[in-house]
Amino acid sequence: MSITATLSSALSGLTAVSRMAEVVSSNVANAMTPGYGQRDVELAARRVGPSGQGVDVVGVTRTVNQILLSDRRVADAGAAEQDTRQAFFAALEQTLGTGDTPGSLTNRIGALDAALVSATGRPESQARLTAVVDAARGLTNALSSAATAVQTARAEADRKIGIDVEQMNTALTQIADLNGQIRAQSGNGRDPSALMDQRQKLVDSVASIIPLREVSREHGQIALFSTGGAVLLEGRPATFGFTPTGLVTEDMTMAGGALSGLTLNGQPLATGVQGGLIAGGRLAANFALRDDIAPNAQIQLDAVARDLVTRFQDPMVDPSLLPGDAGLFTDMGAAFLPVNEAGLAQRLRLNAAVDPAQGGAVWRIRDGISAAAPGNAGNSGLLSALQTALTDRRPVASGIFLPGSRSVAGLASDLVSEIASARLTAQSDATFATTRAEALRVSELEQGVDTDREMQILLQIEQAYAANARVIQTVDTLMKTLLEM
Amino acid sequence: MALVSLGDMAQTFLMRRQTVDTKVALQQHLTEVTTGQAADLTRQVRGDHSALNGIDASLTRLQGYASVTAEVGLMAQATQTALGTVNDLAADLAPMLLSAASPGNGTQLNATASEAGQSFATAVSTLNARIGDRSLFAGQATQGRALVDADAILSALQTAISGLVTVQDVATAVTTWFADPAGYAAVAYRGAGSLAPLDLADGEQAQVGVTAMDPAIRNTLTGFAMAALLDRGVFAGVPAARAQLADRAGQMLLSGQADRTQMAADLGVVEAQIGSASTRNMAETSALGIARLAIVSVDPYEAATRLQETQTQLETLYTLTARLSRLSLVDFLR
Repeated sequence: MSITATLSSALSGLTAVSRMAEVVSSNVANAMTPGYGQRDVELAARRVGPSGQGVDVVGVTRTVNQILLSDRRVADAGAAEQDTRQAFFAALEQTLGTGDTPGSLTNRIGALDAALVSATGRPESQARLTAVVDAARGLTNALSSAATAVQTARAEADRKIGIDVEQMNTALTQIADLNGQIRAQSGNGRDPSALMDQRQKLVDSVASIIPLREVSREHGQIALFSTGGAVLLEGRPATFGFTPTGLVTEDMTMAGGALSGLTLNGQPLATGVQGGLIAGGRLAANFALRDDIAPNAQIQLDAVARDLVTRFQDPMVDPSLLPGDAGLFTDMGAAFLPVNEAGLAQRLRLNAAVDPAQGGAVWRIRDGISAAAPGNAGNSGLLSALQTALTDRRPVASGIFLPGSRSVAGLASDLVSEIASARLTAQSDATFATTRAEALRVSELEQGVDTDREMQILLQIEQAYAANARVIQTVDTLMKTLLEM
Repeated sequence: MALVSLGDMAQTFLMRRQTVDTKVALQQHLTEVTTGQAADLTRQVRGDHSALNGIDASLTRLQGYASVTAEVGLMAQATQTALGTVNDLAADLAPMLLSAASPGNGTQLNATASEAGQSFATAVSTLNARIGDRSLFAGQATQGRALVDADAILSALQTAISGLVTVQDVATAVTTWFADPAGYAAVAYRGAGSLAPLDLADGEQAQVGVTAMDPAIRNTLTGFAMAALLDRGVFAGVPAARAQLADRAGQMLLSGQADRTQMAADLGVVEAQIGSASTRNMAETSALGIARLAIVSVDPYEAATRLQETQTQLETLYTLTARLSRLSLVDFLR
């Protein structure tokens, strides 16, 4: 029966080679597919009885370096976290502006200073007084737009947490589902590689939200744990709970109950400065931004606004004011009280009495905010006093600043420097994290499909196919020879 | 680990990343070469903006000071010119009055009295001088005139001296009227208190405080007014009394010379102060400008070199990308 055996071996060779061609074609087709694990056909000699009987396709293996993948996921999470921080500080720095930006906070303070100095030279000039009022209005706008940007960043963080949580819940459910399918596929002896590719992509999408570790379970299933220790998937998927708030204002906090916290399977999950169980990813960064970093920036802006308002509502500076009267800068039109400091930067407004747009008159900047009638046109006393009040160095009443006396410009400069250096630090952290993540991604991609290698295999396949076909042809000739006898 | 294959995507990804990095760097160097300033100011000052902001604040304030010194300087100069005019009038009139006061010079006295009337009117209108719309001698009430017109002053004076018969009484009444808060200050002076001192530079103040209420100006006006009253027919028909009054007026104008000179000298000191403050501000502006440049500017040679370097790097990358994309086994399988 050895001729039939030869034919059978050659046929098995043809089958194996066809299978290899199929895998090669799949590899080449997916050369650009992210998350695709390169497949290889595993061959073994078929044994029937004492002698070999052709070749057997044992299976298709999917090549994935788990350690590299795992490291890359943690690095991705780190990069996402640092990017979120860096983006916040960069945006705030841009809103506040630095020395080279016209309309930056510090330049506007300088403009008010210069406008006051110029006005002392010609207090009767409407243009000069209007310039003072315009500069003062510009300053209130600069502070309130910065404060608005801070709260917008909080609202944005809140919204992103909502999206991430939703995406994560969906992904975890799908991963659990795929786990089941993979188990069924491999149980049936079919190739579950495609499902694994899909599952790997889903795990990747969760990994940048919360850094995680993948642990293999039997029958190709996986369990997921956050690096902080939370169980994300172990048979059943975990469910995260979060309610986005929409509009976020400076008085809304998680502690106060106005903003939603995070729950895991219905249990509250700590999201403090250290991040707790979810530390390290985009989710933790957004929580830190919403509940810690942005509120601190608001406190600093409020301190600058308070310093500014207090200087100008002093009856010693403007004798027309009674104690309790609002000065040049107001808290939404009223005098500032220290208990109302939170959110002052948003509510900072120019006193309507000096603002022609609000029915006021610019001469009040010269004769006193509460003055009943215009005084002497050449009176520069109050303008000088205002300029002194602006540039005088005084101790800071609130905020997180080093102790010491500063002018308004000095205080604002400290604030801008603080934000700017936080941005620099965040940027270099982000660059480091991104570089690391990219290096790991390159290593991961190196394991991916290599078309050159596939072509080489294809050449082998061609030869092997031809050889097997040749064997069949020879067997055919042998058979014919026998039949023609 | 021995690599049996090298994924296609690894190379493309690496190339793509390097191209982006290089292009970002190119953009940054391009900005630096064209503007001469650091593209990322925060990085340049290592996050601490206080020095730069301090310089910027000073530069902006110096612009304010520049307009103040220019305007106050102009005002001081105009005031000085007006004071000079008044002083010249007094210096011309005084000898004429004294010579006309000698006995038997009745005709000359009449002519001099008329001249005195003219001079008084000129002095008053000089003190009402404005620069732009700004009165020079009205103190803080810069938008109105400093004095009512000469006729009104003389009429008020005539009322004040009516019924007085001796030269002594008339002279005293005129002098008193000019010193009396209910007289000159209330009737003739329309201005307010003198201008406040102004900041000309950081920590330096100057005051152009001359008003028509200044004692030297009031004394001079007293002299003029006494002589001008002669023109209004005071002591008409009593040549001796007219001569005596002319003599007193002449003496008064002469004796006021020292005060007027003092006032002009004081104003001159302020003018000099303004001038030197202005010069110093300009010097400070340029010094601060240089200091600012030292902080924000990048070495143009270095920036250009870096740009060149990045350009070469990008070109190399392009060449490599083109070469590598041709390096595929597929192309050789025919």
